[in-house]
Amino acid sequence: MRLAAAELVESREILPGQWLQAYHAPDVASGSRAGQFIHVRPGDFSGMILRRPFSLNTADSATGIITIHFRVIGRGTEWFTRLRQGDKIDLLGPLGRPFEVDPRSRHLLLVAGGLGIAGVRMLVDEAIRDGRQVTLLFGAASAREVYPSNLLPDEVEYIVATDDGSLGHHGYVTDLVIEYEAWADQAFACGPAPMLAATARLATGRRERLGVAKLGRKRGAGKVDPVGSPAARRKAFLQVSMEQNMGCAVGACLGCVVMSTSGVPQRVCREGPVFAAEEIAWENAW
Amino acid sequence: MKAKRRAVTASSRVAEQKYPTSPKRPSGTGRGNSTGATIRPSSGRADPPMPVRAGAVDLSVQLGRGLVLPNPILVASGTFGYGIEYGEVVDVDRLGGICCKGTTLKARVGNPTPRVTETPAGMLNSIGLQNPGVDAVIARYAETWATWIVPVLVNVAGESVRDYVEVARRLDGVPGVAGIELNISCPNVGAGGLQFAIDAGAAAEVTAAVRRATDLPLLVKLSPNVADIRPIARAIADAGADALTAINTLSGIAIAPGRGRPLLGNIYGGLSGPAVKPVALRVVYEAAQSVTIPVIAIGGVMELADVLDFLAVGAVAVQVGTAIFADPTLPVRLVDELAAECGRRGLTSYRPLIGTALPKKPAQPSSKGVEYRP
Repeated sequence: MRLAAAELVESREILPGQWLQAYHAPDVASGSRAGQFIHVRPGDFSGMILRRPFSLNTADSATGIITIHFRVIGRGTEWFTRLRQGDKIDLLGPLGRPFEVDPRSRHLLLVAGGLGIAGVRMLVDEAIRDGRQVTLLFGAASAREVYPSNLLPDEVEYIVATDDGSLGHHGYVTDLVIEYEAWADQAFACGPAPMLAATARLATGRRERLGVAKLGRKRGAGKVDPVGSPAARRKAFLQVSMEQNMGCAVGACLGCVVMSTSGVPQRVCREGPVFAAEEIAWENAW
Repeated sequence: MKAKRRAVTASSRVAEQKYPTSPKRPSGTGRGNSTGATIRPSSGRADPPMPVRAGAVDLSVQLGRGLVLPNPILVASGTFGYGIEYGEVVDVDRLGGICCKGTTLKARVGNPTPRVTETPAGMLNSIGLQNPGVDAVIARYAETWATWIVPVLVNVAGESVRDYVEVARRLDGVPGVAGIELNISCPNVGAGGLQFAIDAGAAAEVTAAVRRATDLPLLVKLSPNVADIRPIARAIADAGADALTAINTLSGIAIAPGRGRPLLGNIYGGLSGPAVKPVALRVVYEAAQSVTIPVIAIGGVMELADVLDFLAVGAVAVQVGTAIFADPTLPVRLVDELAAECGRRGLTSYRPLIGTALPKKPAQPSSKGVEYRP
């Protein structure tokens, strides 16, 4: 975690109201992993006093370029769209804990709902770099909000579902998960809370249902990893990237919590944003 | 074992000095305007001040019971966690003090989410005092605090006088705990859920009870959600508080855009940020005139000018809160800027800046009407 100035390299509207921006931030680009995020201060100090969290969409350590993908939802995000090449932003990052991929996982299933693509996009790059097979299931309301396939690497299998059936599968993206459940070694999801809850429901009891063998000598045998530790998350079939209104993004204000199955609210910015699905109390405990 | 407090103890008698009236200046500063009892920066204009090196400016704050802050810039409770969260981004030992997250007797899970939202020039929060309980706080953090130079004040909250007393008793004598800041903006469950902070009697009762339970320096945080702050401030001071902090957040509501329902899970939230600064200035202005103990100001400090404003209305120190979220390095920078500002004005201490806006006679209280006066 460090404070840095980042220069805008490129900014364009890839979908109606959705922007992709590239910034030159070498420290963040080389020191971050998929699933982490940055906390950026809007430069308009007249009334906006909080930073805005953005998932790291991609990070290229060779060029020092990071990208963020966001939807314009208010004055803060609108301010970002008015930035021009060469403008500087003040960012804090990388923050949060990344996705944990088991080194033995060959087939990764990524599930993204709408802007949730920004949360798992970097994992696509990392997995392909490590020689894994990736299937990305993407759900959106209609064809006009579907993430352009030319922004994804060629190696990824990209399957689209739209709520109105205007492109790909007619229905929710979670309908597609069942078909890949047996194929995937691990799954990673990011998107609206109901989508994540549905995906988590589908994943529960998967091992018993499918009769998946506990592979390897070490996997799950003997040692019990503490809940929430990287090792425990690495063993989880489904990891989800959560979203919550955020204040400080370093774990000081306790604003961005999600309820966990242990009964202690967990901070999205510190223990998350990536959690193993079984850590989250999906039926809200409050 | 009270090593931390002993280490910063100058003399317990400093508590009896009233702040704004007796600025102690080291001899040999050699300025013509340094002979008066009160030095107002505006009065020395005829003789342009000689710059003083920023490092030579005395920024220390004496809060009573031997608690001496290295400088008057603190971080406010709830915005800085337990001091460790910002890691290497902030050098905590350059701060004047840390007020840690509100701590209760038992662990609390806090309020449902969403808990925070931005509002015009401010933010609303309703964390609901999520914390692991006083014993866990001591076990996890006190050892780290004891290694720091910066004094750590534990913010204490509770639902009954007994809760407060018990937490204070457990904090008493813990190395690393330099003092207690009482958050009395909590419902008193035993008395129909009315906040301690809105009733002079209840506020005095809890202050006196905690005072009896501990020798730690005791700060009490005032709530702005009251009609008249002066009797409450006086009651708390008379009950034995060493200092007042003002203000806690203002109660507010936000509506979820386009949904027509309350945004926060708890419906009500506390407003903070630059939006509350004028209210904080007014409360500090009134409290500083009502009591002889030091007042520490909180409320929308974003830059040095805000610090100077709060000093002018009688605060001896300020806490930076919400602004930390935007700029974590701000409190440390304010320390440097305050020293530089004193140096520029030719002051060897920041104390002449305190109370310059206070009237010679007690001012009309704001509760007598603002726009219309009979």
